Amino acid sequence: MVKVYSITTCPWCEKVKKYLKSKNVEFEEHNIELSEEDREECYKISGDLIVPVTTVNGKDFVVSFDKAKLDALLGL
Amino acid sequence: MAKEIKKKDIIIIGAGMAGLTAALYAGRMNLSVLVLENALVGGQIANATGIENYPGHKVIAGGDLIATVQQQAESFGAEVDEFDPIERVDLTKSPKIVETEGCIYEADVVIIASGMNRRKLPLPEEAKYAGRGVHYCELCDGHMYQDKVIAVMGGGNAAVDAANFLTKYASKLLLIHRSQLKADTVSQERLKKNEKATICLNTEIESLHGDGKLETVTVIDKTTGQEQEVAVDGIFVNIGVIPNTELFKGQVEMDENGRIIAGEDCRTNLPGVFAAGDVRVKEIRQLTTAAADGTTAALLAEQYLSRMRQE
Repeated sequence: MVKVYSITTCPWCEKVKKYLKSKNVEFEEHNIELSEEDREECYKISGDLIVPVTTVNGKDFVVSFDKAKLDALLGL
Repeated sequence: MAKEIKKKDIIIIGAGMAGLTAALYAGRMNLSVLVLENALVGGQIANATGIENYPGHKVIAGGDLIATVQQQAESFGAEVDEFDPIERVDLTKSPKIVETEGCIYEADVVIIASGMNRRKLPLPEEAKYAGRGVHYCELCDGHMYQDKVIAVMGGGNAAVDAANFLTKYASKLLLIHRSQLKADTVSQERLKKNEKATICLNTEIESLHGDGKLETVTVIDKTTGQEQEVAVDGIFVNIGVIPNTELFKGQVEMDENGRIIAGEDCRTNLPGVFAAGDVRVKEIRQLTTAAADGTTAALLAEQYLSRMRQE
């Protein structure tokens, strides 16, 4: 399962989501503005106070938009 | 596997206001146009929360404005690709070569509209606290500092606009700048009226401290020389921009700051290569002047292509 932790107005979050859609990768969006639980989880995963964070299978993650890392993680 | 070779009339490097305006004009002239963007469509304005000085809009978010320009350009046939990073260019020959991760593009004209990147905080601790207290995207990361103390570094329009935006999250906001503010009076006045905001002029951040994430900064008052440790949870850095011209070094003439030397006609030293927007040496860098450059570059590119194909 691919999860994208994001907020509503973040251009890098939009870029990540657009990229995943362009590659037909299904993902769950977790808007940390709307859920304190997601916010805590996002911080716990990366240790950074930053979005977007994309996780694969709940452990491996990519901070911001990093095409090379996303491709490697998702096998694209 | 060898990369596919594709031909275009015009390749535009950079999908900010200059690049997308050039794409809109070139598309309307029935030229085949591809815009390549390595970072964010919109460039610097992708992060702008409210633009109040672009004619035709009382106030508009940068992302909304640029999305409309992109749609306009695409409606006239221009393509925009933000997921195929450029690896190298050869602009000295004809056709020009732009090699991306996925393709080799050949084009008779290249318009460089690659804009500027935000300057990083020039402190050795920057890397340690990047994403953990030091940030470069207010729209993305501002939310992480709900009811926290936020500092914004810088004194130009981008800094003061960022400070105004971040007051919606901060319990207390410090605008820290090494000299006097250069931002528009309207933005300055708005910040001065905000009870959460304190403006610290002639002040510099000397060092960052914190266990795992930022907790305090040492600031120095440049007038008195007095140092002080101040509790700050997050810093948003807006201390200027640097031209995004690394790809073109050794090919296109630049000034000592890395900006491309081109006049009001946007022509560079290389035939068929134009520079538009903030990346070009010029006095005024605004969205409106970027749009003007994009217009000029596209129209003169079309003239260049017509003459070249008549010869």
